[in-house]
Amino acid sequence: MRGNGRALGAAAVAGGLCLLWAATTGAFLLRNNTVTLPWILGAVLPCYCAGLFAWWHAPTHPVARRLLLIGTALSASIGIRYTSALLTTWYGWDLRAPENGLPSPTAALAVLPAEWDNLTVSILVVHLLALLPDGRPRFRGELLVLRSLWALLALPVALPAAGVPTHGVEYAVFYYPEAWLPGIGATLLVMRCLRGRAAGRRDLAALLPVATGAAALFLGRAASRLFRSWHGETGVLYLVGSLLGALPYVLISLSVVYAAFRYRLLGVDIVIRRSVVYGTLWLIISGWYLGMAMTLGLTAGQYFPIGLSVLIAVTATALFQPLRARLNQLAERRVFGRRLTSFELLVQFGSALEHAYDLSRLAPQLAAGLQVGLGLRWARVRLGAGDDLPVHTGTAGEEPDGCAAAAGGARGFPLRYGNDVLGLIEYGPKTEGRFTPEDHDVVETLARQAALAVHNVRLAAELSTRVDEVQRQAGELDASRARIVHAQDTERRRIERRLHDGIQQDLVALVAKLRLARNRLGRGGDIDAVLTEVQDDAYRVIDELREVAHGIHSPVLSDQGLVAAVTSRARRMPIPVTVRVDPSLDRVRFALDIEESAFYLVSEALTNVLKHADATHVTIRMSRSDGWLVVEVRDDGVGFPTGTTRGLGLTGMRDRIEAVGGDLLITSGSGAGTTIRSRLAERVREESHD
Amino acid sequence: MTEAPMRVVIAEDHYLVREGTRRLLEDTGAVGVVAAVGDGTELLRAVDALRPEAVIADIRMPPTHHTEGIAAAHAIRAAHPRIGVVMLSQHADENYAFELFRRGTDGLAYLLKERIGELDELLRALREVASGRSVVDPRIVEVLMGSHTRAADAPLACLTRRELDVLRHMAEGKTNRAIAKALVLSESTIEKHVNSTFAKLGLAEETQLHRRVSAVLAYLRHAPASRTRGMP
Repeated sequence: MRGNGRALGAAAVAGGLCLLWAATTGAFLLRNNTVTLPWILGAVLPCYCAGLFAWWHAPTHPVARRLLLIGTALSASIGIRYTSALLTTWYGWDLRAPENGLPSPTAALAVLPAEWDNLTVSILVVHLLALLPDGRPRFRGELLVLRSLWALLALPVALPAAGVPTHGVEYAVFYYPEAWLPGIGATLLVMRCLRGRAAGRRDLAALLPVATGAAALFLGRAASRLFRSWHGETGVLYLVGSLLGALPYVLISLSVVYAAFRYRLLGVDIVIRRSVVYGTLWLIISGWYLGMAMTLGLTAGQYFPIGLSVLIAVTATALFQPLRARLNQLAERRVFGRRLTSFELLVQFGSALEHAYDLSRLAPQLAAGLQVGLGLRWARVRLGAGDDLPVHTGTAGEEPDGCAAAAGGARGFPLRYGNDVLGLIEYGPKTEGRFTPEDHDVVETLARQAALAVHNVRLAAELSTRVDEVQRQAGELDASRARIVHAQDTERRRIERRLHDGIQQDLVALVAKLRLARNRLGRGGDIDAVLTEVQDDAYRVIDELREVAHGIHSPVLSDQGLVAAVTSRARRMPIPVTVRVDPSLDRVRFALDIEESAFYLVSEALTNVLKHADATHVTIRMSRSDGWLVVEVRDDGVGFPTGTTRGLGLTGMRDRIEAVGGDLLITSGSGAGTTIRSRLAERVREESHD
Repeated sequence: MTEAPMRVVIAEDHYLVREGTRRLLEDTGAVGVVAAVGDGTELLRAVDALRPEAVIADIRMPPTHHTEGIAAAHAIRAAHPRIGVVMLSQHADENYAFELFRRGTDGLAYLLKERIGELDELLRALREVASGRSVVDPRIVEVLMGSHTRAADAPLACLTRRELDVLRHMAEGKTNRAIAKALVLSESTIEKHVNSTFAKLGLAEETQLHRRVSAVLAYLRHAPASRTRGMP
């Protein structure tokens, strides 16, 4: 392989030298400008350059090697041709055979290298095309067909030997293979693609449209090239023929370079600057264009005086200029991707910002857009303001290390909204060219828009937090309302049970005892004991009834107010209770719901103390401060971990207090006692209840 | 039964209770019910017109059914200091008693309504108020004595346990002799405790009877409650 590579290298060098030799001889010694420069520039040079480019980057890849060989062979071909022409001119060697006669053996031998060389070019073109994209046979028969093409090399020897006249040999060796073999190569590629598609090879199937197009183009070209065989080497038809003649070599060269870059045709990652690729493409396009323009000018020179023909050439060049520009633009876009104008960039960012409420997505989106849009080496966008908004960072491109960034001319733009800094845009130098003031403006505008977007996101986040809060409160309100209703129902059922199962039963028993007394009286017995019993029972029923009524509602509360009711409740506690009441509360009557809620709180708290606290002492404090009625119940009991406030009736308390616009604070801890402190918005009742 | 029946007015909005009480009292022969009315306004009119020796009034009466009885009692005591009022209440809550005694205890009694069944108690209360003294239902006293409620600034904090016991009995309307009997102490010992109590409560300058009542009042006011209030 290495030897192979070295041979190829030597061949390439030889090709280069041939090219140089041909260009020099053609232009200066033979003064045969009609043929020389246009052909060299339009076909040979592009092919040779593309071949070098491909081989340089993938020395072992068959496609690269074939392309280089084609370029070399083309160069050799033209070198040989001019050498023989030079010899003919200088030494009078006439190697031309008579039109319909046989060449002399010497002449035939002298022409042979050129013939073989040209055939080799055409056969190599077929090989290159038919084995795309990897350059290796994949299906049965491919290699056989391609190898059999080499049999064409026998033609230059076999035909004269078989007595074919020189003219015919020329057609069979020079014109027909050159015209038809590219088309045949493309057709073979179409067949390869079809077989590949049938075999499920995706890469081949994808190539099918290109192959079909190429086959149509090259076959069409071959058909039209027939003109050239009818009309010699002059005139307009020659011009057309030259254009078409160069076509396959230019197209193949362009395609290989582009595909190598874009689709990794050569199987390696091309780690070169895009501008080199673009330069190569530019060279090919410009060479072809120059060659064609020259052909035009020179063709015109055959018909018109020199002045006019120059004019025509210039005009044509000017006319073709847009075409070239368009081709160059295409190549540029293909290589560098779509470059956006500043305006497009802003519009694109504008729409991205408009819909971006997710900073984690927006940051990389902005960074990538900025990097691609301005052609920067790297860009980093940091969105968010430390305290209330988490920072999201997006980076595009290969960001250098910190010190390299500092040295590499990294710049930064803070995102400002008012006095707030809401983020930072940082970026490195451009991959190509310098950073223009327009670029600067774009980044600045972008920074402003991004700041606005971050600000919006911040607002949206705040809003959503508040909406969540409101929804949570609404949910809590519903739940507490449901709990209050539930608690009321439960209480009603409890009272109903106490009335039916307690008091009513007691009264029935009382009736029974009265009946008993009557029976005894009827028998003339002593009923004093029974009646005493009945009276005692009646007292008990009254007590029970009083208790039930008190449970439903404390009459002291409505008749004498909160303080009287609380002290009354406190007096009935079996453990010591200290009641401390602010003198300003004396005989003050608050709104009914406030008094009831506060009393409920104290009642429940005291009930809790008895049930759970195991306390030895309770202190109740009531005071007023800044429009609030403050009620506090503190015990010295066992307390409870504040995490487990549910299920101790505390939810009910909180519901009751919050229902009248108050709040509740419960502090407790194991062994530390419990303090329940509530604030109720103070509303004094209108009429005093003396 | 040589005494003339005591002239009494009854005020009670519930018809059955009103008529029941009237029958019960008249049945004893010791009381003559000169009028039985249904609300506070009628009561005041009847008292003005008939000048009874005592009144029995329900605490809750039309129109609001809160504490009309107490208002009427205060009005009667203000207009006719010689007419005693027995307040019958369904509330076993000391706060109502405090409210009744707010302007003085003389000639006022606070009894639970079911005491109608204990006729002797009711009659005694009528006699007490008619003669300007005061009675509190034992049930109320029981609540107050059973209470563990404390107030650091209450005047009673400086009384000894024994003095408190004596005071409690005084509050139940007992004489020194009755108290001595109940506590199994000598009457002179009780006398000593009573005097030291008066001294501690700042009542030394008052007349004997008034002192007694004021002590009870102070007890009622301050034993249970924490409210700081000057002495009347």
